[in-house]
Amino acid sequence: MSQDQLAELSRLLYSPVTLLLYGTSAAFYLYSLTTTVGRQDQPRGGGRLAALGYGRIARWLGSALAIAGITAHVSHEVLRGIVQERLPLGNMFEFTSAMALAGVVAGLVYLQFVRKRPELNGFVMMAGTLVLASALLVYSSPGPLQPILDTWWRSFHVTLIVISAGILTAGFVFTALYLLRDTAERRVAAARTAVTAGSTVGAAHVSDLHSADDASSVAERVAPDGRDPAGTPEDDDRADDEDAVRYRTALRAAISPWKLALFTFLGTSTVSWVFIATPTLEVGTGVQRFLSVNLGLVAAALIARWFVPFLPPAATLDGLAYRTIALGFFGWTFGVIAGAMWAEQSWGRFWGWDPKETGSFLTWVAYAAYLHARATRGARGRSAGWIGLWAFAVLMFTYYGVNLVIVGLHSYAGLQ
Amino acid sequence: MSRTDGPRTDGPRTDDPAGGTLESEAPPEMNPAVGPRPSPRGPQEPIRFVWDSVVMGWRWLVRMRTALYLLGVLAIETLIATVVPQAPNVATTVDAWLAGTEGPGATVSAVLDTFGLFDVYGSTLFLATLFLLYLSLTACMIPRVRAWVRLVRRSVPPRSRYPDRAEVAVAFATAAEPDEVHTAAQRLLRDRRWRVREELRDGAGPPQVAAEKGLWSREGGSLLFHLSFYVLLGAVVFGQLSGFTGQVGVVEGEPGFSDTISQYWTRDPGRLWDEGDHAAWTLALDGFEVDWVRDPLAPGAGQPTTFASDVTVTSADGEVTDARIEGNAPVTFEGMKVTQLDWGYAPLFQIEVDGEVVWEDFAIARASGDGIPHFRTAAKAPSAEPDVGLDVFLFPFAPDGEDGPQLTGAPWAEAPLAVVRSYRGDLQLGRTQQSIWQLDTSALEPGGDTSLRPGDEITFDDGVTVRFVELRRWVGFQVSNRPQLPWLLLASAMLLGGLWPALYAYRRRLWVAATRDGTTGRTLVTVGGRAFQRPQAFEEEHDRLVRDLAGATGGQLLASAPPPRVTAATAPSHHPPTAPDPGARP
Repeated sequence: MSQDQLAELSRLLYSPVTLLLYGTSAAFYLYSLTTTVGRQDQPRGGGRLAALGYGRIARWLGSALAIAGITAHVSHEVLRGIVQERLPLGNMFEFTSAMALAGVVAGLVYLQFVRKRPELNGFVMMAGTLVLASALLVYSSPGPLQPILDTWWRSFHVTLIVISAGILTAGFVFTALYLLRDTAERRVAAARTAVTAGSTVGAAHVSDLHSADDASSVAERVAPDGRDPAGTPEDDDRADDEDAVRYRTALRAAISPWKLALFTFLGTSTVSWVFIATPTLEVGTGVQRFLSVNLGLVAAALIARWFVPFLPPAATLDGLAYRTIALGFFGWTFGVIAGAMWAEQSWGRFWGWDPKETGSFLTWVAYAAYLHARATRGARGRSAGWIGLWAFAVLMFTYYGVNLVIVGLHSYAGLQ
Repeated sequence: MSRTDGPRTDGPRTDDPAGGTLESEAPPEMNPAVGPRPSPRGPQEPIRFVWDSVVMGWRWLVRMRTALYLLGVLAIETLIATVVPQAPNVATTVDAWLAGTEGPGATVSAVLDTFGLFDVYGSTLFLATLFLLYLSLTACMIPRVRAWVRLVRRSVPPRSRYPDRAEVAVAFATAAEPDEVHTAAQRLLRDRRWRVREELRDGAGPPQVAAEKGLWSREGGSLLFHLSFYVLLGAVVFGQLSGFTGQVGVVEGEPGFSDTISQYWTRDPGRLWDEGDHAAWTLALDGFEVDWVRDPLAPGAGQPTTFASDVTVTSADGEVTDARIEGNAPVTFEGMKVTQLDWGYAPLFQIEVDGEVVWEDFAIARASGDGIPHFRTAAKAPSAEPDVGLDVFLFPFAPDGEDGPQLTGAPWAEAPLAVVRSYRGDLQLGRTQQSIWQLDTSALEPGGDTSLRPGDEITFDDGVTVRFVELRRWVGFQVSNRPQLPWLLLASAMLLGGLWPALYAYRRRLWVAATRDGTTGRTLVTVGGRAFQRPQAFEEEHDRLVRDLAGATGGQLLASAPPPRVTAATAPSHHPPTAPDPGARP
């Protein structure tokens, strides 16, 4: 095959093949999430097992599609590398694509094999699809590298940074889910406490959830009543189910979709304005990109809202977010240090407050603040979660804003 | 809380002045009125006041919340520095902002300038933030390091009165004697580098093996991580004081430059750097290789592909070294690191006024992106009367077309063309601040302009003859000496080496108690434990330990009694340890 054909094949593998595989995998995983909680989704009688089976099948399909997607993604990267005769980590498209790959692989390995919670992978796959789709906005054809980039230092520094950014993206997903779920739990608990004064149900999500870590047990704890003392076990089951359904409906209703959409739009705008401000883009294209990024995230937020009742308790999500961000922070620290070492070799100084260096330092400070907030009484929990969200916004600004808007030594990483 | 100033009325008060609600069920006589509180000491003396303020400030600094606020302030300052151009990096952009030609306008820029936001990293605010952060770090480190040292030196794993009630507890039965089980457990735990309590018995209690692990690594890692910032600070200050950085441009084939203080174009010596520290070698540029993707249709068209200098260095005692300096491969000569930073063209001009040569030198031309990409420089001949100045725009690839030269903007010098404008008058050298690339034309009269190819010459009407002799290239080198680099490396190693255990190590305790069961004649072994962090990881470790201990003593895991309790173990790891943890930050 000629170089051009290889390049074309590589492009096809990226879009639509990988994108579609990731998207479908996310859908299957998300469906399987709805079957992990509660009993009312399953038909009565012998159908119960069958329904459990659907969830398992969906989970299995989700994993299979995710692995197929990763395979396609890796093949895309390899082909692109062969066409360019270099590691495909030289411009924004390649960074974004590799970031999505890192995030998806990290999510799959961590959730599927370490945490054994594959159903949560749906959100990571969704984020991976979004990040990968956003790479379309900065697509560039394969090309050679500037000689200053042609060194193993680039592989070292850029790989570390990109992998960490991918892991931090997964951490952002968990943080956002945690905040959503926590808000819903709090509001529902507050509403129930208001009705049943003196009840302790409001405390359920805080520290009382040691025994098991799935949402059905939260439902039981938060809504333990509703049983008829004289009822049969079947009656109890039904009462439990009704309570669980009511609790889940309440959880979803606790978050206003309009407010969520509005705040997601505004929050995303703190970063995505750079597309409008990019000097090399026409205003129309810039606005189009701005809107597609914002609306994509709003859609993702609304989907996540729909799944709030099926999420594990807030504390579990918080723990997941912490684990992921801690690993990403370590990688980021290492990557920044590697970058400083490379800068000493290449630019003759290890740190010069170039916009990108400043941005990566800012990201580091923001995530350090998150980790410190996690260790501070009074700030752990929601405050830390918000810091985590802002830290990700800072990371994205460092990534897009500094490349597209601000001219610095790292500018060659931008669009071609 | 409520505060009562006057005589108390009976019954609960709802209009509490402090805004709280005091709903006391107790009879009024149980809540006697509280008069104005007597002051614990007399009027405060000034020294007392100062001391109290210091103590209060110190307590404020020690708080983690303060550190968080300071990190937030640091983040905001850094964010400003990302968005606003910084004078030490891009002075020209800052000037453009101040002039209002770029950025948000002159008024906003003037406000930014008032707050020193064009040089955030040199501003007092930034230094004050850093100072407070370090102070906060120190305030927090001192008690932590002391507590940690005490912990590591004195800690003996504590016994548990009820190991079977620990957060993770599993029991198994074996035929081995209790003493054998205890010895086996001690050996097993010591092999896995647990800290094991020496004596099995403590007073009247039954014998028990108590062990602890991860005692110092998590907190120690965190301390190492935080202490690395002192090394970092020390290294940076040390480098500022005793390092040297200088820039110089060298033209191909010319004698080059020697490493002495006077020959650098710009230099930034540390306070403790003196002239004798220069190695005094001479560097000549034998050749400079640069090439690009020349095919305009190829991917990455116009990008450079090679960028390397071949240099000859002659040391002070006559030793000659040939070396090749590339973008990512600087070369160090006698402690001075030479980095290739920049390059450009160096046209050699000869300027003659009335038959007298007033200038013959290479003009150092730099790439400029205004309009068609070109290289720009200026020649300044103050020895003529009046002064002669040349403004030069060099187009490296301007082949002749049908209607004169085609300015392509390509950087390869296949058909160089210099567009020259001559000026006479006052160059104002030494009176106004001007760059070596540009003329200050405010006191100059334009004499005429023309375009020259290498070898051409022209005589303008005012008697100035300009000869474009030849075109060469120059390379900008940075020569630096950074004695702080090993220390920076040490700081990085401490940072990373500390960060990993600080995030992933976990402290846990384990108790093994074996008792003879009189009825069955077997030995019942209870293995209980608790983790302060990462309960899930501990649960797996605990499982392995129990299995190995059962294997070593021929035991059988009990299926039913006592049931393994895994209550708190599945809780997310971020929950604070419930036992006092002397290492934790307050």
